[in-house]
Amino acid sequence: MNNKNKKIVLHQVWANKSLLLMILMLFLSAGVYAQGKKLITGTVYDNSGVPLAGATVKESGTKNAVSTDFVGKFVLEVASGSTIEAAFMGFNTKTAQVDANSNAPINFRLDSSVNMLDDIKIVSVGYGTMRKSDLTGAISTVSADNLAKGTISSTEQVLQGKVAGLTLVKDSGDPSYGSSIRLRGGTSLTASNNPLIVVDGIAGVDINIVQPSDVKSIDVLKDASATAIYGSRGANGVIIITTKSGVRGVSVTYNGYSGVGTASNHIDMLSANQWRGYVRENNMKDAIDYGANTNWQKELEQTAISHSHTLSISSGNGDSGFRTSLSYLDNQGVIKSTDLKRLSANLNAYQYILNKAVKFDTGLFASIDKFHPLDYRIFERAFNLNPTIPVRDANGNFTSVGGTLYENPVEIQTNRTADNDRNRLLGYFKSEAKFFNDFKAVVNLSMEYNANKGNTYKPTYAVMEGQTEDGYAQKTYGEYVTSQVETYLNYTKTLGKSNINGMVGYSYFENIYEGFGAQRSGFVTDLFSYNNLGAGYNYRLGDVYSYKGKSNLVSLFARANYSYDSKYMLTATIRKDGSSRFGENNKWGTFPSASAAWKISNEDFMKSTENWLTNLKLRVGYGVTGNQDGIGEYKSLSILGVGRDSYYDPATDSWSLAYSPTQNPNPDLKWETTEQFNIGVDFGLFKGITGSFEWYSKNTKDLLYTYEVPQPPYLVGTMLANVGELSNKGLELTLNAKIMEREKFTWNANLTMAHNIQKIEKLSNPSYKTDVIYSGSLHGLSGMSNQYSQIIAEGYPVGTFWGYEASGLDADGKFILGTEKKDLGNVQPDFSMGLGMDFTYGNFDLGISGYGLFGQKVLNATNMMLYDPNRMAAYNVPDDFVGSGIKSPPTFSSYWIEDASFFRIQSLTVGYVIPLKSKISKLRVYMMGENLAVFTNYSGVDPEVNLSGLDNPGIDRFNNYPRPMTISFGVNFSINN
Amino acid sequence: MKIKITAVLIISMLFTISCTNLDEELFDKVEDTNFGKTPKEVDALVGGAYSSLRGFGDAISNSYPTCEYVFFLNETVSDEATIPTRGTNWYDGGQYQDAQKHTWNADNRMILSAWRYNYAGIAKINSIIYQVDKSSLAADAKAPIYAELKGLRAYYYYNLLDLFGNVPIVTNFEDVGLPSNSTRKQVYDFVEKELLDAIPHLTSNVVYSKLTKNVAYSILARLYLNSEAFISTPRWQDCIDMCQKISGYTLAPDFFANFATENQKSPEIIFAIPYDSKAGTVGNYMSSMSCHYLHKLTLSATGDYPWSANGMCAQPGVYSAFADTDKRKKCMVAGDQINLATGSVIIMDNGEPLTYTEEVNSVADAKENQGVRIGKYEMKAGEMWERDHDFVLIRYAEILMMQAECYVRLGSPDLAKPFVQQVTARAGEEMPATVDLAFIDQELLKEFTFEGKRRTDNIRFGTFFLPWWEKGATEQYRAIFPIPSTVLTTNKNLKQNPGY
Repeated sequence: MNNKNKKIVLHQVWANKSLLLMILMLFLSAGVYAQGKKLITGTVYDNSGVPLAGATVKESGTKNAVSTDFVGKFVLEVASGSTIEAAFMGFNTKTAQVDANSNAPINFRLDSSVNMLDDIKIVSVGYGTMRKSDLTGAISTVSADNLAKGTISSTEQVLQGKVAGLTLVKDSGDPSYGSSIRLRGGTSLTASNNPLIVVDGIAGVDINIVQPSDVKSIDVLKDASATAIYGSRGANGVIIITTKSGVRGVSVTYNGYSGVGTASNHIDMLSANQWRGYVRENNMKDAIDYGANTNWQKELEQTAISHSHTLSISSGNGDSGFRTSLSYLDNQGVIKSTDLKRLSANLNAYQYILNKAVKFDTGLFASIDKFHPLDYRIFERAFNLNPTIPVRDANGNFTSVGGTLYENPVEIQTNRTADNDRNRLLGYFKSEAKFFNDFKAVVNLSMEYNANKGNTYKPTYAVMEGQTEDGYAQKTYGEYVTSQVETYLNYTKTLGKSNINGMVGYSYFENIYEGFGAQRSGFVTDLFSYNNLGAGYNYRLGDVYSYKGKSNLVSLFARANYSYDSKYMLTATIRKDGSSRFGENNKWGTFPSASAAWKISNEDFMKSTENWLTNLKLRVGYGVTGNQDGIGEYKSLSILGVGRDSYYDPATDSWSLAYSPTQNPNPDLKWETTEQFNIGVDFGLFKGITGSFEWYSKNTKDLLYTYEVPQPPYLVGTMLANVGELSNKGLELTLNAKIMEREKFTWNANLTMAHNIQKIEKLSNPSYKTDVIYSGSLHGLSGMSNQYSQIIAEGYPVGTFWGYEASGLDADGKFILGTEKKDLGNVQPDFSMGLGMDFTYGNFDLGISGYGLFGQKVLNATNMMLYDPNRMAAYNVPDDFVGSGIKSPPTFSSYWIEDASFFRIQSLTVGYVIPLKSKISKLRVYMMGENLAVFTNYSGVDPEVNLSGLDNPGIDRFNNYPRPMTISFGVNFSINN
Repeated sequence: MKIKITAVLIISMLFTISCTNLDEELFDKVEDTNFGKTPKEVDALVGGAYSSLRGFGDAISNSYPTCEYVFFLNETVSDEATIPTRGTNWYDGGQYQDAQKHTWNADNRMILSAWRYNYAGIAKINSIIYQVDKSSLAADAKAPIYAELKGLRAYYYYNLLDLFGNVPIVTNFEDVGLPSNSTRKQVYDFVEKELLDAIPHLTSNVVYSKLTKNVAYSILARLYLNSEAFISTPRWQDCIDMCQKISGYTLAPDFFANFATENQKSPEIIFAIPYDSKAGTVGNYMSSMSCHYLHKLTLSATGDYPWSANGMCAQPGVYSAFADTDKRKKCMVAGDQINLATGSVIIMDNGEPLTYTEEVNSVADAKENQGVRIGKYEMKAGEMWERDHDFVLIRYAEILMMQAECYVRLGSPDLAKPFVQQVTARAGEEMPATVDLAFIDQELLKEFTFEGKRRTDNIRFGTFFLPWWEKGATEQYRAIFPIPSTVLTTNKNLKQNPGY
């Protein structure tokens, strides 16, 4: 290696993450091997015992040095009796004397020099990495150590409460359900508001392809100056996941846990005896007592046993490495028949050639999920049924009483087989080449494959909605394949105090989805279940179908960074996206951004404050991003559909299929555009507090929505068009504190807080007029057909409840309602918060984390329907109804809208590291409790209801799959050699 | 140097992989410009005009002519039916109560359903005409297709003329400009002209469920019958003349053959919307909208009948208007409902027997069992939610009754007798000495109960504006409905009907 090369590599550290740093240091030291005198080994830890990778261990006064591997280990040949020193950026250097007579390893425990640490973190910014200190945009980084731990089955959950401005809502305790992720409020009415997920550089993948245990770090790009590099997919933020890879040495890790969960809450309905008492007291002569004592909610539940095992192996030397992991998860739900079984594997490997000028990198992720979808109708029915009805009659048959809403939920749950599979595969192959000293070219080929398989069978004896279908079998299959080619070229140059970096790239993204389904009813026997559809004799139009579609996205992008003297930084990006989904008149969109940062604490005039103000950096950014998720394929075209529309031909007494137009064409269809302005301050205070503060304002225009269009002249009553405008403004605060750091005792805390205000600015433009869109449909609730609880209107946020205000009950038990409909509050939280604390004491550790949402309103439609005097005596009512004095049928009003603010203690973990004789092994055992407590005034089962979407955001409507409370026991075991 | 070779390789990749084709590739759909070239493809397009008669349900409205909400609207504003609120059920924002009490406003979702039903059909037909225009068919092959399509479109405009009066007339698919109102007279003239122009090209054969000469004559006869109500110009003789052109139909000996599951065999049906659940037809579930949810046990000991929602029933006074000897009285289900499994009266969840009574306490607060139910179309065990019987739009009895009514109105009641005679004889009823308008009105009620025609008859006879049951006198402007409020919002060129 010549000197010139060394220099280049040094300045490219940002591009190859810390892995490269380590390899680089190995190289630098390779040439200076002295004649061997004594070989020493050891490990460098931080003061909490976490091994430090990439730390430099040096024989004092010489150039003889080596850097530690990823588990902090080093091997160094030194002169006997010499002094060695261990150094790591962000830590105070320590020294140790080499004892000529001892072969014991020399271990270092370095104390952090606060705040320095934060600066050298490497952060993924999309098509490259940057040092945290050089960032100009709002990016939150969560490293593996800080990710939420425990019996977590999906990767998004590790972010719960960890990132200011990121809310994660899982509105169901069903283990096969994911969460919805929102960054800084939603930007769209129609499109997905989920951020773009990038895994190891592959954009737009399913977050579930990565298992929590494979995550190395997650970078959350929040403001538009950071996300604009992802153009028409960046408006909802970007979450960049970097997975673990092979490091020097050999490491084997096993993590396993086993847990027990129960439903954390119920609605207290009248028990059978309470029901009888009510009937007696109210002299209800005709009431039918069926003689049993049934708790319908409990009949649906089970104690959920879950367990998980993950084994990972990694190995590496300077030039190559690999890591593989295998995990198995069996997560039972607290409602009978629900579960998630997941088998997943991950393999990645890299190889350098040509003196480290070229690197190949490949990764493969695979997972198979098996789960049993639930018929959610059971929940409403469990509240409806009279508690004196037995589950089964004297003959062992399910009892059936009453109409549709009063079917036996145990029967629905039992007489139905639903076996679904989800298969996921992600593979990539990346090549990187460095050349002409300052350039690096990257080619990244990837493919993602997702397939869903559904199987359903309802046996011949099953009675659904009062009627048997003589057996009903269905099979569905759908697959979703995306292929991507991305190439980009990086240029880096240092001229004096100036650092220049440039990047240009091209990306081609193609998605093909296809599938088919078939169903039959009318079976003579139940022997075949869903495995022989041909045995069903009853065939209807629409019983078989298939579909296929395709879209592509072509992009050109570029970024330039300039920094001077680590004080002033500038970044500009631009992306041009062309999508097949866009209408003919708007095929290409351009998404620019610019941002700047000033590291004030590096200025000379700040010398006087450096004792307490250890870091101060001001960032300002503006960018334009897009969202094209809501368009879907073929939405701009004039399309004829076939398959559902038949007509009768009297000549042949038979039916034929008609071809009919399905939508109004819109050749102007395009992405939604979000402009975002962000001001951020990063700070470090005293010895242990770091944090950042952000203010943002984002404005989304050309909102996609299926607007009502006048008929006539339009063919169809609605049309997907870009019309409205929506704004989000907010504040975010992130604080990390090392509250106490002693030899045996440490205490760290982190806090995130965010506040967001959303408003719909416009719903009309010259071509489309909309005063108000009614949403929050109550359709399907008894007596509420065609009724809506919310409006989407200018000046209000999405999910604004609109109706009569109730000022209580009159003497007759009727609601006293206002005369004018008005704004009754909305489902948007005013404030969100995450809090985590970790303690260590010797070998013990304790962690606690929680999160909360505050100020959001929820319509308790469950209570609205249950607090109905007409329900007695035929059905059942909650305990609390009895004293409520309500004598009026269900009426939507403010009476049922509640403040659903809550704070949930999500997890509490106690761990102990068992001392082992073997120095290369580590064994930790822990106990963990999840969902231990919820602090709320909300009267329903759970205050955390779905707040996203337009159909029923913030409406608690019988579909509450209870969230489990879980206690688990786990083991972490690792060998690092 | 190897590094340079690699570099060159990679740079060249950067610039060669640059596919920028952004055209959409279709697999399971077809763009309208690529379809309608061959006669078979044109058949598949024209078929869509007929399937539009079944209506649709979408996020904005359920627009089914057989029940929700087009049929509901016509029935609940008339004097024959009601959808009372029962406990919590069927309140639905008061939309049925408002209809019943003639206090509806432009926000009523049932009115929107009816508007959209007709305009969706019109827009679809306009698009098919546009497709046929572009097809390679010869001009003489296109003429009968245009006639059929324009005839169907005139049927929709007739409905709009009847329901809304001053509606915009839109005939060109390519014109997406926002239209303004035409006057009721203009719409009336348009319907008449379109049908008269189509007739020479339509078949004179009896072809079930297709728009034939007979169907066009029938719609014109309805137009003339209601001409006084629509445009204040009576045309009774024109109605008679048009009726007399209709040929090829007789009354079905059994009245209920018109409403049987296999009713396409009836010799009486002039125009109908065919249904067959196996062919995927949707929207035909009126029986389930009327019966009590335990009614299934009267049809099947095991309850093998779709669930029912306990909604629409007859207004008090309708059931007793029928003589017990009137065979048509069975179009309503009344009295004790017997559980086939036990042989005794069904007990409802509230412990009371399921006995359909003619009495209904109030449209705002009826008991579960109140109101006699609609049993006109056949109900049988094992049926699925989507029923298979066709929905009758025009049958020969109406042609007879139209002529009878016109003769009475022209002052020749004796000439009316032979027509009425046929209808009453089948019902097993006696003819009165003289046929007067009051008798015709009652006979129309009994012959066409729950066929969606009563509102128009009430208006023509003027009874619509008189107080009945739970409503007071109705102002004249309510003879047509308001243009739905969301339509007015999205099209500023439209003016609301007077009075609203």
